Amino acid sequence: MMRASSLVAAALLMGLSLGVRAGEVTLGDPYARAVPPGQPNSAVFMTLRNTSAQDLALVEAQSPAAEVVELHTHVQEEGMMRMRRLDRIELRAGETVKLEPGGLHLMLIGLQQRLEPGESVELTLIYDDGSEARIQAPVRKIQMHH
Amino acid sequence: MTRNRLVGVILVLVGLLVWLLLWEPNGAGGGGERHAPLDLAARPGGGDFTLDSASGPVSLADLRGRVVLLYFGYTWCPDICPTNLAFISQALRELPPEEGARVQVLFVSVDPERDDPQRLADYTAYFHPSILGLTGTPQRIAETARLYGAAYRRNQGTDSAMGYLVDHSAYTYVIDPDGRLVRTLDHATPPPEIRAVIRGLLAEEQVG
Repeated sequence: MMRASSLVAAALLMGLSLGVRAGEVTLGDPYARAVPPGQPNSAVFMTLRNTSAQDLALVEAQSPAAEVVELHTHVQEEGMMRMRRLDRIELRAGETVKLEPGGLHLMLIGLQQRLEPGESVELTLIYDDGSEARIQAPVRKIQMHH
Repeated sequence: MTRNRLVGVILVLVGLLVWLLLWEPNGAGGGGERHAPLDLAARPGGGDFTLDSASGPVSLADLRGRVVLLYFGYTWCPDICPTNLAFISQALRELPPEEGARVQVLFVSVDPERDDPQRLADYTAYFHPSILGLTGTPQRIAETARLYGAAYRRNQGTDSAMGYLVDHSAYTYVIDPDGRLVRTLDHATPPPEIRAVIRGLLAEEQVG
């Protein structure tokens, strides 16, 4: 009995303390790529900085703007760019991870809304400790500024 | 004694060198499981082709006098193709109009199952109105890709909700006004560099 309740207490405590950890990831410049009308998919990019002392991983993302959101990366193999789904994006303690065109990205599959500049996409990021962060990613056209 | 040993060592080394020079990786002969479009080693020379656009067939041979940028991709491509098309379009917009008129960008679909000519036209127009989206039978697309050394492979075995993906090379092939493949630009080549390549070729054409 004692044991069970202390387990529950421990779980609660863990939940509470872990729940804070999403807050220890600083998000930089999130944006969703504007896509042509009729385009079923797009991608979201940002910088994730794990300011905590512990390793963390992004394991899931959800958005009302898409049927499914997946974690993806690109690898260059045999002269081809190959997109691959990932189970998790590791965020080591103190590390900054860049989600950017040609590399890691959150893939929006089955778009539920048109992605036009000026709009924004709501996203929930879920980490491996169960903690969540809600963000807004403005829609932008990819352009090179020079 | 030591001299003999030295001579022996030298002979062994020379033997090794000869063996290395004659040795061919065994993959060169019998890479049977690989797809034909994957054969990047073929040193592509380019060449004429005809494919279909929403407004009818397009032949490279009809585009003499223009610099042609040729890119292989697909409209479902979520990241790589839009980046390259955005950069190419930006380069086009930054050309003086009279030069822009002497450039033709061709986007060839490597996903004929999902990309029909109209879909391609809508897609390419989003980036720049002058880009032509091209498709054709899988055979004709494969032949065109082979001419230019573009590699692609339909990847069924993904666990993505997207269904199949198409792995593909992301080079832009630059064809001069005489129809010759003169350069290959890497993925995400910045717009100023693309523009410089185009202008260089147009200037040569003027001189010649």
